[in-house]
Amino acid sequence: MTDLGTISLMIALAACLYGTVVPHWGVQTNNWNLVRSSQNASILTFFLIALASLILINALVTSDFSIRYVWETSSTDMPLFYKVTAFWGGLDGSLLFWLLVQSMFTMIVAFRYQYSNREIIPYVLTTLNALMAFLLILLLGWSNPLELQAVVPEEGRGLNPLLQHPAMAIHPPSLYLGFIGFSVPFAFAMGGLIKGRLDNEWVLTTRRWTLLAFYFLSAGLILGGQWAYEELGWGGFWAWDPVENAAFMPWLTGTAFLHSVMIQEKRNMLRIWNVVLIIVTFALTIVGTFLTRSGVINSVHSFTQSEIGPAFLVFLAVVLVIAFALLFKRIQMLESEHKMESVLCRENAFLAQNVLFVSMAFTVLLGTTFPLLAEAVRGVKLSIQAPFFNTIIAPMGYLLMLLMGVGTLIAWRKASVESLQRSFLSPTLIATAATILGGVLLPAGSATGVYAIIWTTTFVTVTIFWEIFRVSQAKARQLQASWITGLFYAVNRNRRRYGGLVVHLGVVLMFVGFAGKFLSVEKNLTLQTGEPVAFEGYTLVSRGVEEFPVANATHRAAVIEVIKGGQLLEVMKPAKSFYPTQPQPLTEVAIRRTFSEDLYLIFSSEDGSDQGSVTLRVFSNPLMAWAWAALPVFTLGVGICLSYRPKRLLTRESVLRERYESNYATRSAG
Amino acid sequence: MSVWTSWKFWAAWALIGGLIGLFAFGFTTDPKKVPSPLIGRAAKDFEFQALGSGEAHRLSDFRGTPVVLNFWASWCVECRTEAGELEAFHRKHSPQRDAVVLGIAIQDTVSQATAFAERFGKTYLLGLDDPGGQIALDYGIYGVPETFFIDAEGVIRAKQIGGVSLDLLETRWSSLNSPES
Repeated sequence: MTDLGTISLMIALAACLYGTVVPHWGVQTNNWNLVRSSQNASILTFFLIALASLILINALVTSDFSIRYVWETSSTDMPLFYKVTAFWGGLDGSLLFWLLVQSMFTMIVAFRYQYSNREIIPYVLTTLNALMAFLLILLLGWSNPLELQAVVPEEGRGLNPLLQHPAMAIHPPSLYLGFIGFSVPFAFAMGGLIKGRLDNEWVLTTRRWTLLAFYFLSAGLILGGQWAYEELGWGGFWAWDPVENAAFMPWLTGTAFLHSVMIQEKRNMLRIWNVVLIIVTFALTIVGTFLTRSGVINSVHSFTQSEIGPAFLVFLAVVLVIAFALLFKRIQMLESEHKMESVLCRENAFLAQNVLFVSMAFTVLLGTTFPLLAEAVRGVKLSIQAPFFNTIIAPMGYLLMLLMGVGTLIAWRKASVESLQRSFLSPTLIATAATILGGVLLPAGSATGVYAIIWTTTFVTVTIFWEIFRVSQAKARQLQASWITGLFYAVNRNRRRYGGLVVHLGVVLMFVGFAGKFLSVEKNLTLQTGEPVAFEGYTLVSRGVEEFPVANATHRAAVIEVIKGGQLLEVMKPAKSFYPTQPQPLTEVAIRRTFSEDLYLIFSSEDGSDQGSVTLRVFSNPLMAWAWAALPVFTLGVGICLSYRPKRLLTRESVLRERYESNYATRSAG
Repeated sequence: MSVWTSWKFWAAWALIGGLIGLFAFGFTTDPKKVPSPLIGRAAKDFEFQALGSGEAHRLSDFRGTPVVLNFWASWCVECRTEAGELEAFHRKHSPQRDAVVLGIAIQDTVSQATAFAERFGKTYLLGLDDPGGQIALDYGIYGVPETFFIDAEGVIRAKQIGGVSLDLLETRWSSLNSPES
């Protein structure tokens, strides 16, 4: 069975190589049938990779430890859900998962855009097939998850218990979908560069791919944060670890790309810049994968290192060299005649925002690779910690928020000073009032970051709601209908814009959550059994320690009654959990969530004597729930954006399709 | 304007080359060999009871011989993989008495540590951290395994985070015998 899997991967490699070469040949000889055959090859590739994946999943479910990967990442006592998710839980399996998704995307692209993008689609297929061929070579050569081992152990090593968490089951595939999603706009850009035909169509065509990639990457990051918050037990959700940064960098440049393509679409500007952004974004997804697998940079994420590092670096180098060589070859074609008409215009707000996003990505890249740089240049070992990133990135984040508010209301092309005054006077006043109010209500000496966030979030929120209110009022007056009907019509007519604004509201929620982190209070408390201890308005009473089984682990928990205003709110059980396959105990935090704050308990230690005291690390994390609420808001916003398809493209597509099909019919008839 | 005279062209290639070069350089270094403020300082002395025999030893007893001080625990997975490597190093050097391997188990119990040592055939000197974990605190142990290389004069010369291999042990040990680099 496993041999069948490996063989099908080898055939898939052959099919990818075929799909790389043949489309070009088809274009050269003007034989569309050859291009068609590469479309069919993409179906074959997908099913072959799916077969290999099914064989691996089957082995995981049936605990076939003759496969090394199954032995490394699963054990018989694991719940079925985690046996299946172990498919992408380890390095080798995740590469296969990557290929599975990549081949599915390639298949969709091959058939979906054959009419609308006929000139460049052969080269898009070439690009995507070449990427897959490269990944297949890496997989077969260095990390085949279907590799057998000589000795068959009785029991597997089990999935790291830290990873046995629902968010961890969805977080990696979500990140991968984001990473792989960016390969589609990248392939279109490459296709256009190879063919020498790069108008604005690729931007329109790949709009929804970019959005989806952005969404999945955002969701992956948020889910990763949630997992860190609940599972790692240090009260935070983001630590600027290299692996986190690896996923954050493509998000930054991808978000910049998502915005700057709008300028290309509307004003036919920034054409070179957009190609650079998508190349950089795609390259950063590979850098991210490289960093997590190569062991070049030390990370608390103890990813098993593999020998694949150098091969991945070659892959990265090849992608960058070919992409930039093509870009410079065609650069004159891309230069646009349009220039900014005024300093005060939405284009410039977008441009400033782009510069900020890219600077942030560069800062994160510098911070992440600086230890290497320092060692290469000066031979010293050092590490860059969270304070570096926080001091530099946070102010950039506030500026971005400001631009987000400005970008909502400022006009395209040219904005007059009067219109700016009219639009921004009240948001500015309201934001300033909110900040002053915050200053009165918050404890003295709160971090300046809090005030920056209060000001900017209020400013953005007011501009967004003001815009929605204004437009729906106008629409309602025009239709002589109610305000709600007006809102519905206005949003429906311009879904991309209002979907985008909803996503912006999600970002506001995230920042509110960040502000809460500045106000968080933490303390070590030792609780004698039965004696109440006060903490931040709560009274905590320990009722001793108890032990109970949970799934495939045993928990030893401190039983803590949480009392507020004389009322018992909840009995919380922060615990240490013991897994049979992993003898070290892990921390299971207990969290009481409300919209105003999270009470977060970590069981540190207990005094073994009969009287028994327990020591807890206790956090009060205000406003955390707001940050998590961003994800559903993002989902809604992106959903609204996705429901829009550009009419221009639809019309053109159907015309091309008809023409093509009638041609084909006449040719067949003749 | 030709791209060859554009600064952007050269800047892009310089950046790409720099990044790739930097990552390539990364393969030549080991991020797990970490600096510790303890390097170059005298190793703090401590007392422990040998697992099995129960004899009392001090670190300072071994002055005059390079010491490989390994912190481990019976509950640590990576310690299993490095157990054989440390043992092999010990067997190679114990006849000449030119190196001492010392394993201190942290956050552990005598019975579990002994069982672990038996299971993995450890014959080098093993001991337990004191109940308050003082030795681990003194050496700034972040997680196990961590290994310190102490020269004949009792000065810490290197520290390694994570599992060690025989090759690495030999390399570090031989640099202990060479004059301060």
